[in-house]
Amino acid sequence: MSEKTVTPGTTSGAAAPSPGTVAPRAPDGCAACPAYNAEGLVRLGVNMANWDHVIALAGNPNTGKSTVFNNLTGLRQRTGNWPGKTVSRAEGGFSFGGRRYKLVDLPGTYSLLSASTDEEIARDFLLFGRPDVTVIVVDATSLERNLNLVLQVLEITDRVVVCLNLMDEAERHGLKVDPRRLARDLGVPVVATAARQNEGMKELLATIDEVATGRASVKPHRLESLAPAHDGAVKRIEARVSESFPSLPNARWVAMRLLEGDERIVDAVRTGELGQLLSPGEDGASAGDGDAHPASSPGGDAEGLLRNANSARWEIGAQFHDRLMETLYADAARIADRTVTRSGEKRRFDMDRTIDRVVTSRVFGLPLMLAMFGLVIWLTVIGANYPSGLLAELLVDKGHAFLKGLSAAAGLPWWLDGVLIDGTYLGLAWVVSVMLPPMAIFFPMFTLLEDFGYLPRVAFNLDHFFRKAGAHGKQALTMTMGYGCNAAGIIATRVIDSPRERLIAIITNNFSLCNGRWPTQVLIASIFVGGLVPVHLAGLVSAGTVVGVALLGIFLMFAVSWTLSHTVLKGEASAFSLELPPYRPPRVLQTLYTSLIDRTIFVLWRAMVFAAPAGAVTWLLANITVGGDSLAAHLIGSMDGFGWLIGLNGVILLAYIVAIPANEIIIPTILMLTVMTAGISGQGAGAGVMFELDSTTATEQILRAGGWTALTGINLLLFSLLHNPCSTTIYTIWKETKSLKWTTVASLLPVAMGLLVCFVVAQAWRVLTG
Amino acid sequence: MGPLANLLITLGVLAAAAVLFWPERGLFHRWREVSRVGERVRIEDALKHLHEADYHGYPATVDSAAGTLGIGRNEAAAVIADIEARGLATRDGVQLRLTAEGRTWALHVIRAHRLWERHLAEETGVRQEDWHAHAERREHQMTPEEADALAARMGHPRYDPHGDPIPTAEGELPPFHGRPLPELAPGKFGTIVHVEDEPREIYAQLVAEELHPGMRVEMVDSSPERVRFWAEGDEHILAPVVAANLSFVPLPDEDDGQGRFESLASLEPGEAGRVMRISGSCRGLQRRRLMDLGLVPGTDVRAEMKSNGGDPTAYRIRGTLVALRQDQAKQVHISRVLEEAR
Repeated sequence: MSEKTVTPGTTSGAAAPSPGTVAPRAPDGCAACPAYNAEGLVRLGVNMANWDHVIALAGNPNTGKSTVFNNLTGLRQRTGNWPGKTVSRAEGGFSFGGRRYKLVDLPGTYSLLSASTDEEIARDFLLFGRPDVTVIVVDATSLERNLNLVLQVLEITDRVVVCLNLMDEAERHGLKVDPRRLARDLGVPVVATAARQNEGMKELLATIDEVATGRASVKPHRLESLAPAHDGAVKRIEARVSESFPSLPNARWVAMRLLEGDERIVDAVRTGELGQLLSPGEDGASAGDGDAHPASSPGGDAEGLLRNANSARWEIGAQFHDRLMETLYADAARIADRTVTRSGEKRRFDMDRTIDRVVTSRVFGLPLMLAMFGLVIWLTVIGANYPSGLLAELLVDKGHAFLKGLSAAAGLPWWLDGVLIDGTYLGLAWVVSVMLPPMAIFFPMFTLLEDFGYLPRVAFNLDHFFRKAGAHGKQALTMTMGYGCNAAGIIATRVIDSPRERLIAIITNNFSLCNGRWPTQVLIASIFVGGLVPVHLAGLVSAGTVVGVALLGIFLMFAVSWTLSHTVLKGEASAFSLELPPYRPPRVLQTLYTSLIDRTIFVLWRAMVFAAPAGAVTWLLANITVGGDSLAAHLIGSMDGFGWLIGLNGVILLAYIVAIPANEIIIPTILMLTVMTAGISGQGAGAGVMFELDSTTATEQILRAGGWTALTGINLLLFSLLHNPCSTTIYTIWKETKSLKWTTVASLLPVAMGLLVCFVVAQAWRVLTG
Repeated sequence: MGPLANLLITLGVLAAAAVLFWPERGLFHRWREVSRVGERVRIEDALKHLHEADYHGYPATVDSAAGTLGIGRNEAAAVIADIEARGLATRDGVQLRLTAEGRTWALHVIRAHRLWERHLAEETGVRQEDWHAHAERREHQMTPEEADALAARMGHPRYDPHGDPIPTAEGELPPFHGRPLPELAPGKFGTIVHVEDEPREIYAQLVAEELHPGMRVEMVDSSPERVRFWAEGDEHILAPVVAANLSFVPLPDEDDGQGRFESLASLEPGEAGRVMRISGSCRGLQRRRLMDLGLVPGTDVRAEMKSNGGDPTAYRIRGTLVALRQDQAKQVHISRVLEEAR
């Protein structure tokens, strides 16, 4: 679930060929060979200008594919998108034996036969991109299931290397997997690896090299027959396919795809594209012999073939796809049976089950989860306090003063100095000092829990609550991530692989109070609610209020989920499944380090892109005067009426508008604006300069002088819970859903609810207090 | 205006919005329903009926049209007269027959209807009982180009979720082989190939009994009073007029106990079973997901633990531990195994 931030690396930085070899093959030489599928690759977005071979990396999700990818490419990787799709793609490179290899990471999929975007992408790349080698990463601990994809890939291409990964896990669970046996059964090379420990990588590289240069002999396993009812039709169509495209390596697979009505294959037949895909085994070994192949004529009665396939489809009935899957699985089961043996040692396996029994028990399950969650929050609050203070002192106090000094020395005009230092820099500094420490503590802990394997069990325990609301158990996890940062929570919804439930999780994520809103909640609760009770209870009551607001958020999350799933999202497709992976000992230091770097980069990026401009805008609003009054004063004046109606005021509304990019600067902005409009002297550092006070009492004085009452405070607490997501979150929602409609709904629904709730509370309050 | 007045006004507005826009029952939705039925809709519905009657082999008359369309005899007569005037059908005594032009139009509407039902079944979460109603609306709004695009996106499916063949763009349709279920002899086996979706009340009853195409049936007793049979683990007793809306093709005589099984949901932690099939009522994304997880016939499955809320349950399938909800587990049919599953 951690965000994938990849250090932008050199894309063309292939290592120079080792001394003693000739200059790398000129692209022309390769381009002349009919097997060099540059055009097809370019169409798929792969630039082959500096590389000799292209490798595709495939595999089920959760097999350690990314680890293998990282191990092979190091820092030389970058992420982009598949052309025309919203799925992201990672590419990288490495060199071996004097040759330069480009590695393309295909989306993790369980099969290639369904209609999901991920599978289409993977299948299209394998078929039409014709990579020189396909490496399939397989999880040794669940070989049978993984073999499904392997067998499907083997139907498309011969040049496969199976990377039998997670061998260390298999050993822990008492499984013995025989790579040689597997290689014999599959007919392709199999390399045993433990990518996390960096074992087996050299052999993998060597094997890839062998297959790419044609030195390894492969005889891939192919599917046996399907049900008798279908075999007749398959054979007939296969014969026609071979007639029309004699050079195709696997006519039977193409026949089966036609019988299933696969649009892409039908198109390829019609346009003759299929005929231009040569088997890699039949390379023009004589480079330069441009006429090595009789290019199959497009057509050759392609229409006749398609007509035959179409009428055969009535014959095979509706069960064809199911039979195909069954055959694949039966094959996979047979092969796995011969390859995997369980040794007597089942200790680790049993330990998993013991842990599970405790974690999901009626007695311990729920308390354990609450305790974990509480611990994470508590550690974050306590742990972030000191560093936040330090950063604030460093960046906000000292840094600000320092920069002011510099600008005075440089003689900058007052307005430039104001916009840059008072506005932009302060905005940036504030966000970093408030956001960075909590994020750097909260998320690494989360990642540790995830690595360990605990988090799916939480989803497992809580699912029945979420099911009643029409959502997915994993929403418990994304919701919890939202308490750290809503944008991270949105990204986390990727683990919910059901479209409807994912949308619900995205839209309701904002009801989790993110780190940036905690200070606002705590401060306002202590002043306006804690202030209502005797001093010795104040701390407890304030804390209780904040918890109460959080609980209200959770309640609303369920309510809105339920409403969405019964109205607007009623017809969206939905499919539930929840995999419970085996427990793995987390690599504590490695995780902490990576997570820390990831989080720091994220916070800094966000601060620069979103928060800094907000600071600048605030300063400008407060300092640009029109007709004697600042813009801010004008805006506040016009919004005061509406603000009062809903129990807030103009200052709060303006602050929320200006601070859409960052919740952290709400309080500083409010204080600055209040001081400005209420004409309080002796506080703050001038118009447009955000500030905060150490003393709660002093803050209270300013607010009360600005006309705040208990109602204002309470409504601010509610509005802080129920307003639009911050701009980073909105941006993230847009990137994840690519849908203007849902981004708008997700952004406007909370603020509409917030205005309504504040309005009703204000009226009720006034009625009750006369 | 005082706060009290504000509150009351707000509540009033919210209540009014609820009354108007409540899903399906709100006044706005009801108005939309009423205003959509126009002349062309009537004609297309009648053409469909004429085609279906011809296809399934029973006579089409003005009365049968009136019954199917749910309108009075006079109104039906007027619609039929209109159809004849447009050259879409001819009268042969009491019976009505489609002309070639009428047939083409009818097939297009049927194609649109069945493609849309397939789309609803495979790609959305709309409930089974609602497919027909949605498709009834949509079939009149789809152009042939839209239908082709939809078919292309779904891989040119051949059958709709009721088991009915989807006419191709060229208007091809395979001949119909099914016979009404009451004709299945007691003690014999068959597969349901079609569930007639008109009239709606009978269809709703069949859906409630969870009967769908692809089900294997073992006939117990078929008399003029009632029809009794086993289908996938449950015994059904239906009135003959209801059972007649199910069509079957015969299966060879083999009692492999296929009529009766349990579902995955019946396994308690520690118990194991072997998958017989995934029920035909599980479709689209969910069905593909279950198969991807390895729940295909012959797989051994073991229930390992229940969540502390009772639902979902974690099952060990081919070495992986996967949690499924109860309503999904009910759709996987198993037979119990005595030996230890993997």
